[in-house]
Amino acid sequence: MTATKNMAKANDQGRYWIATVLAIFLLLTTAPVVAGSVQVQQVQTRLLNKVYYLDAQLEYDLTEPMLEALHKSVPLTFVLYIEVFKQRDYLWDDGVAELEQRYQLEYLPLTQQYQVRNLNSGALHNLPSLQVALSVLGTVVDLPLLDHELLVADEPYQARLRAQLDIEELPVPLRLLSYFSDEWRLRSEWYSWSLQH
Amino acid sequence: MVFAALRRLGAGFLPMVILSVLLLISLYLMSAATQNSQEFGRVFFVLLLINVVALVLLLVLIATNLVRLVRQYRRGATGSRLTVRLVVLFVILSLLPVSVVYYFSLGFIQRSIDSWFDVRIEQTLDDTLELTRLALDERKRELILRSERIVQVLMQVHEGDLALEVNRLRQQYDVLDLTLFDQGGRILAYSSKEPDDLSPVLPDSAMLRQLLQQGSYLGQDSEESGQTGGNALALRILMQVPGLHVERGLVLQARYPMSDRINRLTDSVQAAFAEYQQLTLLRDPLKFSFSLTLSLVLLLSCLTAVWAAFFSARRLVAPIRALAIGTRAVAAGDYHRQLPQHSNDELGFLVQSFNDMTRRIAQSRDEVESSQLQAERERAYLRAVLGRLSSGVITMDRHHTIRTANASSGQVLGVELKDFVGQALEQLIQEHGWLESFVATIGGHLDEVQQEWREEVVIFSDQGRKVLMCGGAALPGVGGRQAGHVIVFDDVTTLVQAQRDAAWGEVARRLAHEIKNPLTPIQLSAERLRHKYLESLVPEEAEMLDRLTHTIIQQVEVMKKMVQAFSEYAHAPQLQLSRLALNDVIDEVLDLYRASERQVRIETQLEPKLPLLEADSGRIRQLLHNLIKNALEAVSDRADGWVRILTRMLKDGRRMMIEMRVEDNGPGIPEDMLAQVCEPYVSSKPKGSGLGLAIVKKIVEEHGGVVRVYNKAESGACVEVQFPVDIDVQDDVLMDDSSLDAPIGGW
Repeated sequence: MTATKNMAKANDQGRYWIATVLAIFLLLTTAPVVAGSVQVQQVQTRLLNKVYYLDAQLEYDLTEPMLEALHKSVPLTFVLYIEVFKQRDYLWDDGVAELEQRYQLEYLPLTQQYQVRNLNSGALHNLPSLQVALSVLGTVVDLPLLDHELLVADEPYQARLRAQLDIEELPVPLRLLSYFSDEWRLRSEWYSWSLQH
Repeated sequence: MVFAALRRLGAGFLPMVILSVLLLISLYLMSAATQNSQEFGRVFFVLLLINVVALVLLLVLIATNLVRLVRQYRRGATGSRLTVRLVVLFVILSLLPVSVVYYFSLGFIQRSIDSWFDVRIEQTLDDTLELTRLALDERKRELILRSERIVQVLMQVHEGDLALEVNRLRQQYDVLDLTLFDQGGRILAYSSKEPDDLSPVLPDSAMLRQLLQQGSYLGQDSEESGQTGGNALALRILMQVPGLHVERGLVLQARYPMSDRINRLTDSVQAAFAEYQQLTLLRDPLKFSFSLTLSLVLLLSCLTAVWAAFFSARRLVAPIRALAIGTRAVAAGDYHRQLPQHSNDELGFLVQSFNDMTRRIAQSRDEVESSQLQAERERAYLRAVLGRLSSGVITMDRHHTIRTANASSGQVLGVELKDFVGQALEQLIQEHGWLESFVATIGGHLDEVQQEWREEVVIFSDQGRKVLMCGGAALPGVGGRQAGHVIVFDDVTTLVQAQRDAAWGEVARRLAHEIKNPLTPIQLSAERLRHKYLESLVPEEAEMLDRLTHTIIQQVEVMKKMVQAFSEYAHAPQLQLSRLALNDVIDEVLDLYRASERQVRIETQLEPKLPLLEADSGRIRQLLHNLIKNALEAVSDRADGWVRILTRMLKDGRRMMIEMRVEDNGPGIPEDMLAQVCEPYVSSKPKGSGLGLAIVKKIVEEHGGVVRVYNKAESGACVEVQFPVDIDVQDDVLMDDSSLDAPIGGW
């Protein structure tokens, strides 16, 4: 009994040793794997009282490891990057405004609810299902973008938006894996549109 | 000195230490980050990258070192073997314990992380959570029931009484706050337990959506959304109020307080459960990250150790290598190589000693070289002096072996002395018999204690009779022992001859002056005496006078002849040399004696092929006359007397001589006179002038020959004359004269 236990432990050790070596190997040669996604469905900007407001609809599709971590009470942090810039032909683009919105998605085991929290404003939503939580996470309404005064009249301005999972907020042991794993990579393409004014 | 030391440190040791310390720091930070430390968690990736880069850097360094070492080893470079041995030793010494520690540390990590998890703990946590959930559900059910009762009451209440009724119900059912609002969000009634709360906390759209979908909403307000402050957790229930208010879509919101204790407990349970859940998820990644950190630490330590092994092996071997190279250089004769000295330890001391040694060797070698050069110069000087010397100089060691002989020594002796260098002195006699007297004279003095000696030696070489003046001295040796001898000799033949000639000339002149001059007046006086008184005297007296004067005149005549003869002996004119055949001359002279009526037999045994003789023919004839006359006189008393003349050629090595012997069967020469028989005025004959053989000896010596007079065994005397023959002018004689004119070796 004890012998088999010891053997099992030795096997365990061997396995982790191999895993370590493999990780170092992976560190040098990273191969792409099928991943989850974020897609920007729709973005809309409105000018109201000389302030630009942004409405956006995003669709999050989490991978299995992310879902597992979520259900094991690991909070996932998502970041929304929004940039407004003036496009120039002969020089690099002239940035006007940069905005970063952070959201945290958490599972509460006691109430078996999901919690979405806007880390910028502190707004909190308790939601009964993951689907609802993801739709709340993907819905951005009336986000003040920038003051109209900042823009020069009759000049073309571009804006773009991107969403991604912030792996730097993960617990360190998990982060180590996430650096080298595509299953932990969740990032949308830049969604660009021209700012009407 | 200080700068050099700093530079030396900077080149190797210091950067290694700094790098190692930096690596250790980064490893520590990484390890801290792995343990979820917030401050290092952010830089985890950077630290990992730094360590990996350091790893690669070290690998490259080691590979470079290894390649260099292998190349040196293959080339057989000095010190490479020792370096390899030291590196292997160091690497084994460092890797073995580290590997053992690594193996067990990995095990400890796995086991200690595994020990966090326990099935019973997990079950307990699950149960606790379930229990908490059940308790909450129970309370929810009870609150829903309470809310339904409130709705039942409100359904019957008219719009105007709603505010009062809500306040009463809130108090009756112990509600935190009660709010009644319609679909447009307009608040119809509001009552709160807290008098300060003037406006209600309205539900958001999501809650309303749920209300519409399910007919009611039950949710838990967390602290952040609540405006009541503190940790109070409230349960919020939304319900539609049908009845009188159906058309307006009235909604009741009731918030019930939850006790602080329950809040804390539920929070604690949820937090503990969440933490445990996280841990179960992180179990493998944690093991992995700890193992990775440990492996990185180990790898960096090992690689640093390997690098340090290379470094220290090189540093350790450097002075030994320098010593090996230096020793090889010394073996090859390069004594001027100085080794660089780095350390003050035993190796440094060794290097220092080596430098001292080579310096001293170089010094003494230079001294030896200079003294050798000086000796060589003196030797050359001595050789030049001895080479120009007309005297012969021979040196010999203690064993009578000829060590050196100068050019003149060979010329004087007429021998290739060069060929005898390294041979015993006695060896000379084996090949050149005539040198016997020379060798015997020298040999006689070699073993004497006497330091210096001088003696005259007569040799008869192919160049004729030679008188040598020999002198010798013992060479100073080491420790009082005799090192050998130096012999110096000169050819004084001509000198001796000239001296003798001069002496005899002086005697002759004196004789002529003192004796010959008075003789003529004596003779004239005697003749006049006779002439004047012979006739006047009586016959008896006249006869006496006649006899007396006759005797005077006769004796004066004899004296005149004697003086004449001596004068001729002493005043010999210059030699008129010509080449003549000795046999012909002998025949001519003998013809004169054969013609006379003598009863003496004259025999000849002449060798027909006799080489020509370089001689004065007049003198040779005189010589023959003297010898033949002597012989005839010796046998004049015998009836069967005979005289025999023999000639023959003698060859002794390179020497060639003509020998002539005149023998008779007379009474011989008295033994006591034999030694001086050739001296002037020595004669065995009553009537002899005493100059015959002296003249013979003189003539023979003038021609470079030797004369020997001895009595034969049977009876009679023998005069033996030997003339040297000049080999150069003899065409018909077979001789090996190739080395005749070559100078004699040695000095």
